[in-house]
Formats: sequence, C-alpha cells, structure tokens
Amino acid sequence: MIKLSEIYEAILLAIEALNSNKIRSLLASLGVVIGISIVIIMGWLINNMDRALTDTFNIIGEDMFFVDKYEWSGGGNWEKMRNRKDIKYEQTIELKEKVKSAEVIIPNLNKWGSTMTYNGENYNGISLVGTTFENAKTPAGSIELGRYYNEMEDEYGSNVIVIGNAVVKNVFKGQNPLGQFVKLNGHKLQVIGVVVKRGTVMMSFIDNQCFIPVKTFRKIFGNNFRSISAAVKAGGKANMDKVRDEVQGAMRTIRNNQPGKEDDFSINETKTFEDSVKQIKAVVYSVGIGMTMLSFLVGIIGIMNIMFVSVVERTREIGIRKAVGAKNSTILMQFIIESSILCLIGAILSIILCSLLVYGSVQVILSFNPDLTFLTPILPYELLVIATIVSIFVGILAGLMPAIRAAKLNPVDALRYE
Amino acid sequence: MNDNKIIIEIEHISRVYQMGSEVVYALRDITLNIHKNEYVAIMCPSGSGKSTLMNLLGCLDTPSSGKYLFNNLDVRDMDDNDLAEIRNKEIGFVFQTFNLLPRASALKNVELPLVYSGMKANERLERAEQVLESVGLTDRSSHKPNEMSGGQRQRVAIARALITEPSIILADEPTGNLDSKTGLDIMKLLSEIWKKGNTIIIVTHEEEIARYAHRIIRIKDGLIEKDEVNPNYVKFE
Repeated sequence: MIKLSEIYEAILLAIEALNSNKIRSLLASLGVVIGISIVIIMGWLINNMDRALTDTFNIIGEDMFFVDKYEWSGGGNWEKMRNRKDIKYEQTIELKEKVKSAEVIIPNLNKWGSTMTYNGENYNGISLVGTTFENAKTPAGSIELGRYYNEMEDEYGSNVIVIGNAVVKNVFKGQNPLGQFVKLNGHKLQVIGVVVKRGTVMMSFIDNQCFIPVKTFRKIFGNNFRSISAAVKAGGKANMDKVRDEVQGAMRTIRNNQPGKEDDFSINETKTFEDSVKQIKAVVYSVGIGMTMLSFLVGIIGIMNIMFVSVVERTREIGIRKAVGAKNSTILMQFIIESSILCLIGAILSIILCSLLVYGSVQVILSFNPDLTFLTPILPYELLVIATIVSIFVGILAGLMPAIRAAKLNPVDALRYE
Repeated sequence: MNDNKIIIEIEHISRVYQMGSEVVYALRDITLNIHKNEYVAIMCPSGSGKSTLMNLLGCLDTPSSGKYLFNNLDVRDMDDNDLAEIRNKEIGFVFQTFNLLPRASALKNVELPLVYSGMKANERLERAEQVLESVGLTDRSSHKPNEMSGGQRQRVAIARALITEPSIILADEPTGNLDSKTGLDIMKLLSEIWKKGNTIIIVTHEEEIARYAHRIIRIKDGLIEKDEVNPNYVKFE
C-alpha cells in the first residue's frame, strides 16, 4: 500500500526536482506543449464548426424540407439529376393539397443572379424568389422591417417586394428602403419589407434573397419558368419523419413514379449540411489526431529521455531512499509523479498559449468579418479538462519505463554509485 | 543490561557472486548471533567480504545460502517490500560517506525514514527535531549537507538512523571520512547511544575503531577468524 504521506512527499519532491532544472524541464515538455496545443485547437475548431452548423440550421429552419430536382449535397449522379423532369408550379400546388400533415407547403420560383435597378444604378447579385404569402411563416420570410405581402396582394400579383437584409446595404446604401421603388427586368416594384439577417460565413448569399408574389414573378419571367422547388415546413422537428414520408409518397404519385423505380426528385433538408460538416469534422479529426499522435510521440520520447537522465543522476539518492525504507512502488510512483507534473506544466503552458492565440485571432477575424458571430474567443472548459487529463496520461506513459528502471535498482549498487 | 534477546541469528550463510564465468565467494560460511544492546565491531580487512556482510546484515541483500533470522523473522522468505519495511523499522544505517540527500535540509534528511513509515507530517517534524537535539544539532536543522562539516553530517546521519528507534544501528566505517578528533566525537556519540539501550554494530577495518566495541568479530577470507569479548573497550566519562 502506498501511503498518503509518500504521495504528498513525491509531489513536493517532483516540484523541487523540476525547479532545480528549469530550462531542461521546459525544453523537455515542448513536445507535450505542441501536442496538447493541437488537441485544444482541434477541439476548438470542431466546437466552432458545430456552432456554425447550428447557425445554418437556424437559417434554413430545422423542420424545413425542400423538394427539388437537384440534391443539395450534389450526392448521387449529377447527369441523372439533370435528366429529371423539371418540377412544375402546378405540381407544387398539388403537393400542397395532398399533404395535410405539413404546416406550410409553398412553391419557390428561383431566379438567381437577377439585376435590381434603383436610382439608375444596377445591382446584379439578387436572387429573386417567387413564392406565396405563407413564406412569412418560414424562417426565410421572417420580417425585420415593414411587413410581408398578404394573401390579397399575393392573389392579385401586386407589384411589391420583400428584400433581403444585405440588399439594404448593397442597393440602398443603408437608407430606409421602405416605400421605395426598384426595377427588376423593367418591372417597377415597391419595397414593403425587409427580412431578418440570416447569413453567416456559410450562406452569406442568402441575405441577397428577395421575395415577390408568384403571380408577379410569372408576369416578369413568364408562365413557363422552370427552376421551381417546393418548400415544406413540417411544423416541429418531431413531425419530420411523418411529413417526409407523406411528401415523398405524394410526390411520387404526382410525378407518376412507377413502383420499384427511384424518386425523380430530391427531398433536401438541413441534414445535408450536417452530413457535410460531419465529413469536414472527420478530416479535422484525422489530421488532428495524426498530428497529435506524432507530437505526443516526440513529446513522450523527450520526456522519457529526460527522466532516464534524471534516474541516472539520482541513482545514489534512490539508493539512500531504499536503504531507509522506500519500497519499489514508492520509487516508481515518485518518478511517475515527476513526469506527470512535467507534462501537466506542459499542459498549463499550452492552455495559456492557446487561449491567447484563439482570443487574439478571433478578435482579428471579427474585425475583418463581423458576420462570423459563431466564433468563440474563449476555449470551452471541457477542452481544458481533456487537455489536462491527456497530459497526465502522457506523463504516466513517458515516465513508466524510467520509473521502472529506478524502482528496480538494487539498493547495494545504487548506494555504491558515484 | 543484556536481556539476552537475540536480534540477529546467522547460521552458515554464504554469499556468492557470479563475475562473468568466474564464481566469487565473498562470504563462505558465517555463523553468529547478536543480542539486544550488544556493541559489536566486525573487523574485516578490505576485500574480505566486509561490504557484503554489511549489506546482508542490513537487509540490503540476501544470502546465497544459510539461514538469517532477524528478530526471529526469516530474511530468506522476504521480498523487496518486506526487506524495505525491515530496513525502515528495524535498521538504522550510518555510512562512511554519510549518504545524505544533498538537496534536503538536515531536518528533512532526518525525517525521511518516517515519510516511508507513513507518519503524519507534524509528528514527523516534532520527532526529527527531538532526535536532532539529542545529537546536538538543533541549530543546524535548516542547513543542507554542503553547508555542514563532516562531523555534523555524520551526526545528521546518526539522527536519521535513530529516528525510527530501530533494533540495530549498523555503522559502516563511521569515522572513515573524518579527522581523528571528529571521529572521536562520533565514537563518543555512538557509545552514548549504546548506553541508552541500543544495539550497535560497527563494520570496520580499523583496529582503532574496534577498540570501542565490547565484542570483536574478525572475518578473513569469508570466514570468521575470531569472535571474542573485548574487556578493555574504551570507556567515555
């Protein structure tokens, strides 16, 4: 049994021993400092990716589906998807009638790269969406300023437009856009509302989205406009599976998909992003783990080496301790505690280093791009706990062999050692 | 004053070393008993198995053959942990080269055996201060070995040997690294310790030192040459 007094003594002893060789200890722990730093930075990156992902969920809406000709992730065969028939406006209306379980089903007519003219100046980056008044119930149509067009305006095809948050800056130079008239393809439209800012680094383009009634859209671009999808709001995450199944079934009927044949449409949802973030995370993990392993290997070798040196230097001391009653296990523990403390110091150094690094770089990044609000300048405390535990584990690993050598020293030989 | 309790009982022990292909007999056949409160000198010319006998007596090493009972416990049956415990509780070492921890203060050095026996820190400290006082070193307790003279260092070592109140004090050439005056002081201290009821075994090759012992065992070539009482041992006033 190892006694408490021995453990306490071993800790004091280790601190004293390391203190008397400051530079050597510091250099020896460098490998561990690098290893722990990689663990911390990797953890921080993954943590922030998760936050970015959550932000994206909020942009799109966690309970939203988009029935589209194409699959977002580009998964599957691009050629095959291109050969699918376009989704027609009438089909989206039919879908809305068939699927009762969904909260909202609306058509989205998407015109990318539209040009908006205001005060004689053109702006090209507008993505124009023709949709119904019910878009107001989805995250895409949440109003920050003014109002969304109502059912009446929708039905009559009024010349009104709800603009994206970034358009205020890009087209109106920050001036109040409400009541102003803009031109799209020669059609004059009045701005009645501004939607909330949604974009972050993932999807900043989304804030250039503008919404007009379907009828208005078809007046401008014609009745044969082909890039159409249906947005479905399930109404709560719990409804997702039920609504997805029903949408899929209804859509197969509408599109006349034969039994046994696969869907000729895709149901896109935020899960797609989740999957691609998972892939990025896997890459970060494997690169990070590879680098961590390598630097820990170097770190362990460095510490093991210095511990072997320390054992040799203190051979006589070990002999004295054994002569007055130190057991092999006591000596073993003494050296393992010493190397663990060495690694712990390394961990503390890396925590300080990484905290400064992360805080500093987040400040710099935010000063260039304030949209990246999901970046955290503070390291999550779980990471610090993990780093500490890992460092102690590394210390035990690195100290084990030297400690065994010290413990096994024959007291007679050790006492005679000069 | 001799209650005849046998502390060390050695029967026909030998210690053999394998040096490459050659077998070296450091001790051939030794039989001896040591009782409580004896003051014994083991006289041994250098190279006649002196260190080997010292290591065996001190339970730093175990014999190749023969029987060694320490307080009726068979040393041959003991593993490293048992030996460490015997050394901790029953044996107080005094070495020629002092063997103090260089970075630790006198007080820390003295309390070291108690660290390994698990005594609480404050009790340890109190005990160490008492023992240091008994060897006349109260004012040196915070000094490190390199800040003390040879005689003072040996006193610290003796204090360390005494602190666990062991069955024997085992001294290996305790005056070997000291000038004759300081050596005399140390021998005087050992005699005082004997008077308090301790058992003292000195391993030495110097006749001068053996004169202080009450019994002299002479070893030569790994065998006991003579084991006799020394009626004319040097007495201190």
